[in-house]
Amino acid sequence: MGHAAEKSGSDLDLTDLAERDDERIPLKDVIALAEKVTTALKPLVRSLDRSMHQELKEILQAIEGLRSELSRVDANDIFAKRIPEMGRELSAIVKATEVATDTIMNVAEQVLAADKSDPQKYAAEVEQHMMAIFEACSFQDLTGQRVTKIIHTMEVIEDRIEVLCKMIENNNIAPLSSGELTDREKRNRDKLVSGPAHDGEGVSQSDIDAMF
Amino acid sequence: MALDRSMRILIVDDYATMLRILRNLLKQLGFENVDDAADGHEAAQKVAQQKYDLIISDWNMEPMTGYELLRHVRADPANAHVPFIMITAESATENVIAAKRAGVNNYIIKPFTTEVLFAKMQAVFEKQMAG
Repeated sequence: MGHAAEKSGSDLDLTDLAERDDERIPLKDVIALAEKVTTALKPLVRSLDRSMHQELKEILQAIEGLRSELSRVDANDIFAKRIPEMGRELSAIVKATEVATDTIMNVAEQVLAADKSDPQKYAAEVEQHMMAIFEACSFQDLTGQRVTKIIHTMEVIEDRIEVLCKMIENNNIAPLSSGELTDREKRNRDKLVSGPAHDGEGVSQSDIDAMF
Repeated sequence: MALDRSMRILIVDDYATMLRILRNLLKQLGFENVDDAADGHEAAQKVAQQKYDLIISDWNMEPMTGYELLRHVRADPANAHVPFIMITAESATENVIAAKRAGVNNYIIKPFTTEVLFAKMQAVFEKQMAG
């Protein structure tokens, strides 16, 4: 006890205070001890500050990286261009099959209704109608090409969704570059292949005839 | 050479249905001497082995397109003047211009009718006769 009473100010430590039994601590001793504790904690606070700053910096970098990769998924390209284009292709397919079905059914009805009393005339008429059926069947080629375009678009979207899923799992996966053409698109561009045009697009047969 | 029903024609398309349609239409028009190929590469091989009087080809095929076949045929002195008609869904102006520059004799947009096909065949051979 006497030991604690002998010390004061900067010489004082917590052990000294704990050993005191008079339960009266001078204010100057409390202040001195508080200063001592503050001085002792300064390096710890500085290191905590540095490490927190580093953590925040890394979080910011991760968010920026994620944002950059998300932009590469290019949702705008998918929703503004690719999906509407698929819709147009599907509509064109529906229309082409409808026209072909209608043509073939009309021809079938005409064959059924044809006058069979003159075999030669009937045969010639049937032959002519069969030609119309062959022509109508060419829709399969065009719809096939449109379906191929749709499948390709779906593959592109599938790739980008896969990139998104992998980004969520692991931010290290390199995503598909935004706006970059796929190998097939590059090939088609180089070989002037764009598939059937939509109504009102491309040149008409009469325009082509004028060129020849 | 005039448009002759006995002429040897090569039709090229990667859609078997389209080849069948073309073969039937040509048959109905009186042309029965018809060979076919499923792409430009196969057609080029046939052209190297056999002399054709007319080639009717699609554009969009793999691995060799109809446009590449056209350029291949035009680059071969033995076949440089074989009439070549493109029948395709590719209707962009740049396609038609490119094909014309490469030496195509006529260009038909799909879908087409028998009348259009025959008219273009006639036009090609009439022009050749006049030229």
